[in-house]
This record gives sequence, C-alpha cells and structure tokens, in this order.
Amino acid sequence: MGDLVQLLVSGTATGAIYALAALGFTLLWQAAGVINFAQGEFVMLPAFAMLAGLAFGLPVWLAFLIACVLAAIVLGAGFKQVVVDPLIRHGVIPLVIATLGLAIAVKSTVRAGFSAEAHPLPSPFPTGQLSIAGINVSYADIGTLALAGAIVIGLQAFLNRTVTGRAMQAVAQNTESARVLGIDVRRMVLYVFLINAVLAVVAALLIAPTYLAKFDMGDSIGLKAFFAAIIGGFNQTRGALLGGVLIGVLENLVGFYISPAYKEGVALVLFLGVILLRPEGLLGKAEERKV
Amino acid sequence: MTATPSLLDVKDIRKAYGAIRAVDGVSFSVRPGEIVGVIGPNGSGKTTLFNSILGQIRPTSGSVEFSGEDITGMSPLELARRGIGRTFQTLQVFGGLSVRDNLIAAAQEFSGTMPGRLFAKPDAGLGQRADEMIELFRLKHVAHLPAGSLSYGQQKLIDIAMAFMAAPRLVLLDEPCAGVNPGLVDQLRELLVQLNRTQGGSFVVIEHNMGFIMRLCPHVICMVEGKVLAEGKPAAVQSNPAVLEAYLGN
Repeated sequence: MGDLVQLLVSGTATGAIYALAALGFTLLWQAAGVINFAQGEFVMLPAFAMLAGLAFGLPVWLAFLIACVLAAIVLGAGFKQVVVDPLIRHGVIPLVIATLGLAIAVKSTVRAGFSAEAHPLPSPFPTGQLSIAGINVSYADIGTLALAGAIVIGLQAFLNRTVTGRAMQAVAQNTESARVLGIDVRRMVLYVFLINAVLAVVAALLIAPTYLAKFDMGDSIGLKAFFAAIIGGFNQTRGALLGGVLIGVLENLVGFYISPAYKEGVALVLFLGVILLRPEGLLGKAEERKV
Repeated sequence: MTATPSLLDVKDIRKAYGAIRAVDGVSFSVRPGEIVGVIGPNGSGKTTLFNSILGQIRPTSGSVEFSGEDITGMSPLELARRGIGRTFQTLQVFGGLSVRDNLIAAAQEFSGTMPGRLFAKPDAGLGQRADEMIELFRLKHVAHLPAGSLSYGQQKLIDIAMAFMAAPRLVLLDEPCAGVNPGLVDQLRELLVQLNRTQGGSFVVIEHNMGFIMRLCPHVICMVEGKVLAEGKPAAVQSNPAVLEAYLGN
C-alpha cells in the first residue's frame, strides 16, 4: 500500500510537469491554430539558460526569473514573430515542418555549445523525504506538485476570472467574432505565446533536477506532452492536465509492477488507444474545421 | 431647414471578383436613429456589401464614411472602437463561455487601457449592463449556462444582444431571423424596435423574411445583381414591378 501511494504521488508530480508542457500545446492550438513540435526544446532551452545563470553565480530563483524573461522574449514573442506569423497563413503543415526543423536546429546548437553531456540543475526544493504513516514522499515531489498545481490553478483563474483571460478564451473559441467585437486578437495570441514560454521555463525548473539538462531532453518531454494533450483532448486545457497526470502515474505503475523496460511505451499505448477509441480525447469535444 | 447629417454614407461601393461584380456601385445613407432594410434574392451582393462596409473585405472602389470620417478599409477592430457593431448570418457566440460572459466579452474592450484591462474586475464594470440585456432578451434563466449548450434561437438572441452590449451607434444585422423559430420573429422585431427607441442607434438589416423587414424598417433598399434596384418606403418597394420580377421571375 505504501509503495502504491508513493508511486501515485511521484507519478502525479512527473505527470504535472508533462501537463505544464501539454498545457502550452493546447493553448497555442486553441488560440493560434499552431502545433509546436519544438515544444520539448522550449523546455530544454530554459534549463540551459538557468545553468548559464548558475555558472555566473546567480541563485536558482534569480536564474529562473531571468530565464522567464528571456523565454518570453525569445520563445514567446520571437517565436511568434519570426516563425509563426510568416508561416501560419500557409496552413498548419508548413508550420509543423518549420517547428520540427527548429527543434533539430536548437538541439544541434545546444549540443555544440554545452556538449552532449547531461548537466545537473539544482532542485529548487529541499532534499529529503516526508514520512507520514510509513509512507515516504520526497520534498521534491511535494514541491513539484505544489508549484505545478499553483501554476495551473493560477492560469485557470486568469483565464476564467479576468477580463483578459475571457478575451483570450473568446479568441480561442471564435476568432472572427472576437475581432468584430473589438478584441485585439493579435495581442491575445501574443499573450498565449508568452504564457507558453513561461510554462516551459517552469517545466524546465521542475524536470531538469531529476532528469538532468541535456541537449536531447526535449525529445521525451515534447513527445509526452504532445501525447498528453491528445489523450486529454487537444481543445481542452483540462484535458492536457488529465493526459499529463495519467501518463506520469501509469508510467510509474508500469515501471514498478511490470518492468521499467515498458515504462517509455506507456504514453504511446495510451495515445494509440485514445486515437482509436475516442479521437477527440478523454475530455475533448469533437469539432469541425474547414479544410 | 437643414437636413440631419448622415451617420453612415456609402458612396459608389464596388467589389469585383475577376469579371464578377458582386457589388456594383451601391450608394446609400443612414441617418442617426434610422433603421434601413436591405433585401434582395440570394447572390445579390448584400453580405458582400456588409463585408465591404465593415472592413472584412476591401472594396474595389468607392468609399464609406461614418460621422463624416472616411472608414473605408478600416479593420473590424477599428470600426468596433468607433461604435459600429454587426451580427453574422451564422451564429458567432462563444460556446464555452456563459451567456453573461458572452455579453461582457462583447463590450469589455471598449473602455480603459490595455494594462488596466489586464487587472480589471472580472465583469469589467459591465455586469449591470449585461444583466439589463439578459433581462431585455429574456435570457435570465440561462444566464449562467454555456452559450453553446442552448438552442439555436437562444444563441441567436445572445448573438444579437452581444452586438448591442457596447451601445454602438450603428449595427449591421445580417439575417437576424435566419434559422429562428417563427414564434420568435415577432419577439425579435419588438426587441430591435425597443433598442432603437431606448439606445437611439441606427440599424441596417439584411433579411429575407419580408414580413419582418416590412414592419421593422421605414426605409428599404432592394439589391439585385450587385446594384440597387429600388429603394424607398417598404410598401412602395414591395409593389415595385422590377422588384417583383427579380424575386419571382417573369
């Protein structure tokens, strides 16, 4: 019983990190019709930015804040301006190819600059474990759940309870109508890109201490975030959360009870099952698009 | 006696797609508080005319003036901020938002500054106005439900209420009765009359429902093949032989 609870907690913590990246996927898709296959690299780059900050003697929190600002400029506004805006009018496919190319370019550049070695990033949470009734849970897992949970709740509150959040939802649900009603669609879409960039930095802060910062770390998290978004429902932010947590928990359970060798296949099996049985995702809604 | 200056002046608007002239030299004016109806068979260029006025497509030639200002080719965003609203033939509500949030979203961008809106109260100070519109459009019992979960007729009412939320000076309504239960058509007409009286806005209404448009609009324009075939009082337009021929054929 103790093992199961520990597995569930640590799986949920890992899943929450996938969910943050998946949330970015769904937000970009809903607001701008963009599928970003460089999402994993968007998590990897801030990890190296934070490492660079630490190399200059900055504390983790300051390196994190600077990484947030840099990510907002480069991975948010810059990505939108330089990659998305010129290509989006040509449809989804050119953008998919461009983001795949961007992912390769970013990986190669980081490998050239930081080597192919894995680099440890200090955890923002204390080491050690909390023991309650014989169940041990690491402070890192508790901190990850708390931070990811706070980010998700804060984001949901922002989207549902603020004027700007409602405008962003309006743009995601009906861009043309939003434009006619005077909502600044371009600005709302920019906000989504900025939010996605900051979510990627938080994901990097949470995942790099455990899985280490490496030039190809984005391959795994990008793919799992994409699967999580599909599993939960690409058009639902709640779906991304469910998908992420489901993958994280099942990976842990399969790794422990069956074999670690099958752990990496969990997301793919779930993804295939959902695509075959419920293509709109577990919480998603079927939608029509003109092609 | 000086004539009341026009609110909207559409001057010789033309829109061509290759050799096809969708709108071919249409001119008309709308005075403050006036309701103008636009009728015509399918494909006569009514919606293209609306889209040209509203900046959704750029006219090939001609100009549109609003309160004396040239607004030709301005974006829908710029027009909305000048007090021009519209509804579409198809539903444009935000299905995932509640009815009340739909109404607030429709007007929230018209006051304050961008940073101010970022931190504004959730109802953007529009809660009372939204509740008044909900009351007027008899949507109180569904005010907190997602708009997408309501019937087509209810969504149509929300759609129209949204266009009036920011108290626009001019609203262009594109087939407000399309797909609406016949029992709701009279209610819709009464609502528009009431809004015209209480808010004093001007409306231009495209509609195929002749009974609706003849009772609502004191001035009617009939378009055929991109041109104005007849205009004037509803009864005169309705009995115009050229209009009858355009609708019924020889």
